[in-house]
Amino acid sequence: MRRTHLSKLAFAASLALAVSLGTSGAFAQAKPEKLVIMSHAVHKGAVTGEKGGDSSADWSKKNGVGTEWLTFGVEAVHERVYREASLAEGKVDIAFILERYSGPQVARLFEDLSQYQAKDPIEDFNEISSGMRTAHTHNGKLIAIPFRHATHGLLYNQVYFKERGVDAPPKTMEALLALAEKMNYTRPDGTVVHGYITSFDDPSGIVDLMRAFGGDFITSDYKFVADSPASIKVVTLLRDFFRKGIFPKNVFTFKTEEVITMMQQGRAAMTNQPFGRFFNYNDAKQSKFPGEFKVTTIPAAGGGIAPAKTSVWGMAIPANSKNKQLAWTLIKELSSKKATVAQAINGNGPVRVSAYKDEGVRKLVPYADDEAAVLQTARSTVPGFENTQKAMDFFMEEIQLAMLGTKTPEQAMADLKKRVEPLLPR
Amino acid sequence: MWTLRPVHYLMVAPVHLLLLVFIFVPALYVGWLSLTHSSFGGPPEFVGLENYATMLADRIFWRSFWNTFLVVNIVVYGELALGLGLALLLAGWVPFKRVVIAIILAPYAITEVTAVIMWRYMLEPDVGMINYALKSLGVPQIEWAVEPFSALMVVSVLAIWQHLPFTFLILYAAVTTIPNELIESAKVDGATPWQTFWFVKLRLILPAVFVALMFRYIFAMRIFSEVWLLTEGGPARMTEVLAVYLYRQAFRYHEFGAASATGWMLLLLSLVIALPYLRAMYVKMFRDG
Repeated sequence: MRRTHLSKLAFAASLALAVSLGTSGAFAQAKPEKLVIMSHAVHKGAVTGEKGGDSSADWSKKNGVGTEWLTFGVEAVHERVYREASLAEGKVDIAFILERYSGPQVARLFEDLSQYQAKDPIEDFNEISSGMRTAHTHNGKLIAIPFRHATHGLLYNQVYFKERGVDAPPKTMEALLALAEKMNYTRPDGTVVHGYITSFDDPSGIVDLMRAFGGDFITSDYKFVADSPASIKVVTLLRDFFRKGIFPKNVFTFKTEEVITMMQQGRAAMTNQPFGRFFNYNDAKQSKFPGEFKVTTIPAAGGGIAPAKTSVWGMAIPANSKNKQLAWTLIKELSSKKATVAQAINGNGPVRVSAYKDEGVRKLVPYADDEAAVLQTARSTVPGFENTQKAMDFFMEEIQLAMLGTKTPEQAMADLKKRVEPLLPR
Repeated sequence: MWTLRPVHYLMVAPVHLLLLVFIFVPALYVGWLSLTHSSFGGPPEFVGLENYATMLADRIFWRSFWNTFLVVNIVVYGELALGLGLALLLAGWVPFKRVVIAIILAPYAITEVTAVIMWRYMLEPDVGMINYALKSLGVPQIEWAVEPFSALMVVSVLAIWQHLPFTFLILYAAVTTIPNELIESAKVDGATPWQTFWFVKLRLILPAVFVALMFRYIFAMRIFSEVWLLTEGGPARMTEVLAVYLYRQAFRYHEFGAASATGWMLLLLSLVIALPYLRAMYVKMFRDG
């Protein structure tokens, strides 16, 4: 009897403990102290910047939950996100990923956000371009909600244009190329000015030029086209630019940072980079020519706007996050129209067209109309697939061999075709 | 004669335990990983020796191998020659000896990243101090960004400059312990300075030379920062070394099986190089009494 009573007591105590633990567990899941966000520093700046205000503040206040930002460089953030998301249990609740670093091979690691969207929709979701959403859709899963785009424009130093008697940016790609030669000169103070520079870290700067002539590297339906006459024309042009000294001798080592430094120091006249660099180049603390840099669209051959490169960062929820629902509410908040405007004022490339019409944004972003116009045709450098990085490395390798004269442009692109086509999704 | 007792094994056990946990077990795991296709988003898939076959058939692997071979030998023997020369010089009377030693040791206090970036700016084609000086003198510039051989030479010089203190310290310590009586005896016997060096000094510091050589070989095989920060293996991957090749596979392509195979290849190469030196050290230090 006593034993039975004790057993009942033990059972009741266990039940109470289990309920208590279960409740506290559920509570912990619903209300963690903070959500962990892994991203590039630029995203943290866009969300929490001073000019436009902290677009996560209202959400934090409402939910009583803070945010912890872990920021890394572009390549490092993906490596860490994928490593963390591969674990049985992860500590990252929201991960920012770039479309060309993702692909079907990593789709399994993230939640399908279209299901969250169906239950608890983001405001006017269709305003975010379908191209941007498609860039983050793999195996039918929407793995990230577009947050930021970085779209290329033509940035130039107005002082140098005036020095060389040029009063307006080029309207055609042919005029731009002629201008690059004209802008290649030595100033009276001895400064060597290079007519045109671009980053050789990845193919984005070169693909802009190929697209301006109607060529490309890999199309969005995974066709290799870098051996087309238009693309080969650009490879030949790069070789000639290198031989003529329009490109500096160390251009092969140029990453984004080197291009920024060269432009800020007045050692190059023009470049194609994201529109947002306008602020870096005109920053009086960093630049020798504050207020003298302008940005416009990259012209296409024969006139019009070239379909420049854009890259789209998206917000994803790792499948092993313990706070998925809460993470979705923050993503929803950060994707709202109001937040998109605040982020644009903080320097973000807004994924909603309406943000470009906002007075506050237009006042701070003089290139709003140009950027909005480019977005109509802008595309990713290459579509995301398992071997994107390898294909891009092969591209840069063959381009450099052609520029050094080791191979002809035709041979380099033919060799590239042999190396890249087996990597493409069938 | 020493007799090894359990207490002796117990005293050396912690270091062996550390080696086992942090070196041996991970190395075995990497060995297993090298036999798989492994990336993010899926479990490893066993593929036997495929990664090794792919690696050995890859021309960029072989280019990286020969680049590593060239740089490592220049660096190790360059450092040895310079370190030994400086050690012998400073063992005698030299004015401001402490200042000179401090100057030699200074590069070791600079982080690799800072050192490489500093050299890179000094060698910048348009505004770098070195290339500007060469240009002013009418001497051709160092085309490190375009010519692979020049780039590898810059990498070698940079590595020698930064790691010389390690070799120098080992050799300087050994040289200063040579008994003066032996040098004086050699002189009394009519030995020339070269004969004194060759038959007396070098024989006595040989174990230290082996230690310096072996450690520098192993460290130099992993050379990465100098190449990555200077050229990133370019132009056209012509200056890539094995550690950069491995880095691309692991952290850019996320091919962990292939990267593990490269890692094991690096380990085997280090072992092949280290074994003769280890054997020579063993003979010199233990078997010969």
